[in-house]
Amino acid sequence: MNESQFGNQVRHHLNEGLDLAPAAAERLRRARELALERQRPEPAPALRWADNVLGSFGGWAGASLRLVLPVALLVLAVMFIYNWQQSRTIAEIEEIDSMLLTDELPIDAYLDRGFQSWLKKLDEDE
Amino acid sequence: MASRSELERFLIDVERRAFKQAVFAVRDQDAALDIVQDAMLRLAEKYGQRPVAELPMLFHRIVQNAIRDWFRRQKVRSLWTTLLSSLAPGREDEDADPLESLPAPGGEHPDEALERTQVLEILEKEISRLPPRQREAFLMRYWDELNVAETARAMRCSEGSVKTHCSRAAHALQAALKARGVKL
Repeated sequence: MNESQFGNQVRHHLNEGLDLAPAAAERLRRARELALERQRPEPAPALRWADNVLGSFGGWAGASLRLVLPVALLVLAVMFIYNWQQSRTIAEIEEIDSMLLTDELPIDAYLDRGFQSWLKKLDEDE
Repeated sequence: MASRSELERFLIDVERRAFKQAVFAVRDQDAALDIVQDAMLRLAEKYGQRPVAELPMLFHRIVQNAIRDWFRRQKVRSLWTTLLSSLAPGREDEDADPLESLPAPGGEHPDEALERTQVLEILEKEISRLPPRQREAFLMRYWDELNVAETARAMRCSEGSVKTHCSRAAHALQAALKARGVKL
């Protein structure tokens, strides 16, 4: 009989001796109940999704690298594009202003209705 | 992560074997019950959220640590008591009625039932005489059916040591049973 076969025979016999005296069995049952009462509660179902999401990113440490970092980079990129658009708009307005101010035609001419109707008529003729 | 019901099923499955293993080690039923109770509480409090697959290894490690702690406390309490208990290998639970632990025969002949009980008694006595590390390794491997790697983790030793302990325990047990004319 090899070691494994002998081990199985021993298990078979030992399992037959597992019927304990009622007092011992009752004490084990009480100990088990006490232990189950002291088991740390599972996370609340409402928060379990957060654990699952974080878990899929490898926990808090993984989340900081794989989730927070890309989001931070995206926010920085959006801020940069917004600033660039603002400065380009300002530059265009400045250019128009300078063209108007440096033109020989006085700026009040654009407020004159007769001048505007003359421009329209000029466009239609062309 | 072990749920309450999974932990309960695990404890129901393992508690009696753990109790008997503690009895083999400390040879005192009350002390063995204390050890198993402490181990259950420690498992639930500290490792109750660990995956179910890890529970057997963790529980056996806790039980073995609790047994060693018990021996340390006994040693501190009284060196003489420890010495005397090791010199007296007889059952300390003489008040227990052997009929209480006799399995229901179910049509079995009384002689056969008696023989099985006697074989079990001899087997348990010889197991309790094994060196502690050999006994732990052998019972975890073949009674609790942990694999070599799990047993090694529970015992905090190498897989090679587990195999050596198991092999020596099996040989010693086979020799002891043969000397007493017991065949499994």
